[in-house]
Amino acid sequence: MNPAGIPLKEPSVSAAAGDTEQLERALIDASTRVPVLIFYTSAVAWLILGTLLAGFVSFKLHTPDLLSDISFLTWGRVRPAHMNVMVYGWASMAGMGTAIWLMARLCRTVLRYPLLLVAGAGFWNLGVFLGVGGILLGDSTGYQWLEFPSYAAIILFVAYTLVASWAVLMFRFRRGEQIYISQWYLLGAFLWFPWLYAAGQLMLFVVPVQGVLQSAVGWWYANNLLFLWFGAIGLGTAYYMIPKVIGRPVYSYHLAAIGFWSYALFSSWTGMQRLVDGPFPAWMVTASIAATILTLIPVATVGLNHHMTMQGYFPIMRYSPTLRFTVFGAMSYTVFSVLGILISLRSVARYVNFTQASIAYSHLGLYAFFTMVIFGSMYYIVPRLIGREWRYGSLIKLHFWASAYGIGLMTLMLLAGGLTQGTSMENPSLAFSESVESVLPYLRGRSLSGILLTVSHFVFAYHFGLMLFGLGRKSTVPTFLNPVEAEGAEVAH
Amino acid sequence: MKGLAPLFLGIFGTFAFSWVGLTVIPNWQIGHLNPQSDEEGTDIYPMPQSGMVTRGARVYAANGCNYCHSEQVHAEYAGADIERKWGDRRSAPRDYIFERPVLLGKMRMGQDLANIGARAPKEEESPSPAGSASPAPQGAAVSSGAVASAKAASPPPGTSPSPATAPATSPGAIASKPPTSPGPASPPPSKSPTTAAAGGTSPAATASPPAPGPPWPEQTAGLPPMYSAAWHHVHLYSPRSINLDSNMPSYRFLYQARRISDARSADGLQVTGSDAPPEGWEIVPTYDAKCLVAYMMALNQSHPLTEVKSSGAAPVASPAASPSPAPGVPPPK
Repeated sequence: MNPAGIPLKEPSVSAAAGDTEQLERALIDASTRVPVLIFYTSAVAWLILGTLLAGFVSFKLHTPDLLSDISFLTWGRVRPAHMNVMVYGWASMAGMGTAIWLMARLCRTVLRYPLLLVAGAGFWNLGVFLGVGGILLGDSTGYQWLEFPSYAAIILFVAYTLVASWAVLMFRFRRGEQIYISQWYLLGAFLWFPWLYAAGQLMLFVVPVQGVLQSAVGWWYANNLLFLWFGAIGLGTAYYMIPKVIGRPVYSYHLAAIGFWSYALFSSWTGMQRLVDGPFPAWMVTASIAATILTLIPVATVGLNHHMTMQGYFPIMRYSPTLRFTVFGAMSYTVFSVLGILISLRSVARYVNFTQASIAYSHLGLYAFFTMVIFGSMYYIVPRLIGREWRYGSLIKLHFWASAYGIGLMTLMLLAGGLTQGTSMENPSLAFSESVESVLPYLRGRSLSGILLTVSHFVFAYHFGLMLFGLGRKSTVPTFLNPVEAEGAEVAH
Repeated sequence: MKGLAPLFLGIFGTFAFSWVGLTVIPNWQIGHLNPQSDEEGTDIYPMPQSGMVTRGARVYAANGCNYCHSEQVHAEYAGADIERKWGDRRSAPRDYIFERPVLLGKMRMGQDLANIGARAPKEEESPSPAGSASPAPQGAAVSSGAVASAKAASPPPGTSPSPATAPATSPGAIASKPPTSPGPASPPPSKSPTTAAAGGTSPAATASPPAPGPPWPEQTAGLPPMYSAAWHHVHLYSPRSINLDSNMPSYRFLYQARRISDARSADGLQVTGSDAPPEGWEIVPTYDAKCLVAYMMALNQSHPLTEVKSSGAAPVASPAASPSPAPGVPPPK
């Protein structure tokens, strides 16, 4: 792609030493501009749709008669539609956008074959559209996160092949000897996903395995999608953004390596703990519980590494939107993993299995961790693609706090509700309906948190739209969350 | 990291390890189970499913029933499932070998349905099911009695204890006016005990807490026997006409209103009150609704499996239910 003619951001520093590097970066950013923006724009559109669906799902759960007479708005169809819009529409597309940009930057090479990526984005959108339409029209397969009917799944896979082959090509043309830790995670994500998706599709739909193994494969898929696809992209992004914004190298490469390999090894073995006490050989569940506990190793190493990198630089979170979102996400990763360990223990699982607590767990992973990291990366990347800075610091602040309080409230409500529900369910002297009734107040609270999240997403979409239409600020200084005193200006982005 | 080979090998290796360990090896272990049969090769369980049941499973999945209802009974040490009468024994892999899709479920906003078909009233064999079903409600009577005493110090005398005492006293005690029940064509005397039995299980197993009393028995009065196919249709059409506290959405889009031409059709829904269609009209299930109910009626894990110990609490019900190999597949109406 010819970078000439694209309104680039003026290199803000024109000191002679950094000049070529600045120019190189600007060229790389310009070459990724079209595909990454297409991915981001689609992702934000899906995010808005997914948010509306989510609100609908949440309200319908405690108001079952709301619009229940219309087949495509029945709760049992809107819920998978919401999940799949968020998983494949929002999270995957935004994640791929960030991953593409990071790959180009880290491989220090301009993006080749952008058409491949544009086509990939187009097919991906088509796949999600057909899949969600299929679910709403009653074609859902019933397997968690694999609800898309086969015609949509095939298109998704074609789209994915285009994107992944591009990423591998990119890696092939990289310059420089060093492979940064983020690249490990991103390469991992790009290589794990197709295998995972193909294995899930094949073992469930093409040559289906027998009986309960379908459930096992389904949970293996869902869990690995969460860890090896979203988790890997999220961690890779955090490993890039945190050192980048504070202008300081990662604390320890050894820790990073240990974290990566233990993550790949242990988190891929989790999943069966969700099936605890179900009709499965006990060793499967036990192996997953053990693996879940062992994820303490990557959690501790990654958390320690990020923390030590940030040590002394936490005040920058006051100014930098990217850092604030990313650090929130990175911390949520720890919370998410520790909660995952807790609810996988048999003694706890007894009380939270079959309750809303598992919804809290998925939201912690997919939203508090992954989505927040991706928001952070978008606040960093979009100005570099468009050459304008975010228009309103106040809107970013509103976005952050609405998201943070929203997801926090949602997690607390669902966890507390799940525990209440589970303890009632475990007590046979209480009628089963009591367990359902006990959770309803918490579900109403969850709907409130959904309102906060809706506000946050609309604010973000509006702000993103302004940027897209070139209405950002023309400035060489990034948008800060709070007015920066003179000395803060150099470090914060 | 210097070399690329270790990175790629590691990425593939870790994933292959997980893939083989959690999907391929389990597939060797339990991926090729056969139905069980006794020495003579009869009494085969489980049986392949009929076309309607298979289609019903897809309707069930497509409308997301599995997001609120699980289909797995856990062992006694791992939960209250068996005490709640959701099954006589824990579920085992063999129970599911003909299921497709397998909808084990991860959430219980509604009760477990693994044995919902087994709870249906047995209409065909009039003497034996009454005898076989009565021990079960006695277990329920104990637990619901405990609820009543634990929860409400003074339950309304006429209503609340009635499900508990129903099997002990007279079948008619289930509700204040049960014989008026316009149930599906079936001899009333042989039917009532099963109605009572099914009704007796209800407070413990299903939904309505027994203490508040009024809603359940009165509403049961005008309805088909609990967990019968006709009951499922009414429940799907209007859940809150059966249980005021139900949190289930209605699935009216699976039903159609039709003008009665000559006579009411046999599968017209027995809906009353505000749900009733206007004069001269009737509500009939679509084919999808019939398949869905056929699927639910086929959910039945009451047959004993050699590899699973049936619970000591209610073993009586399973041998009684077993003689007919596939009692859950009813003649769909």
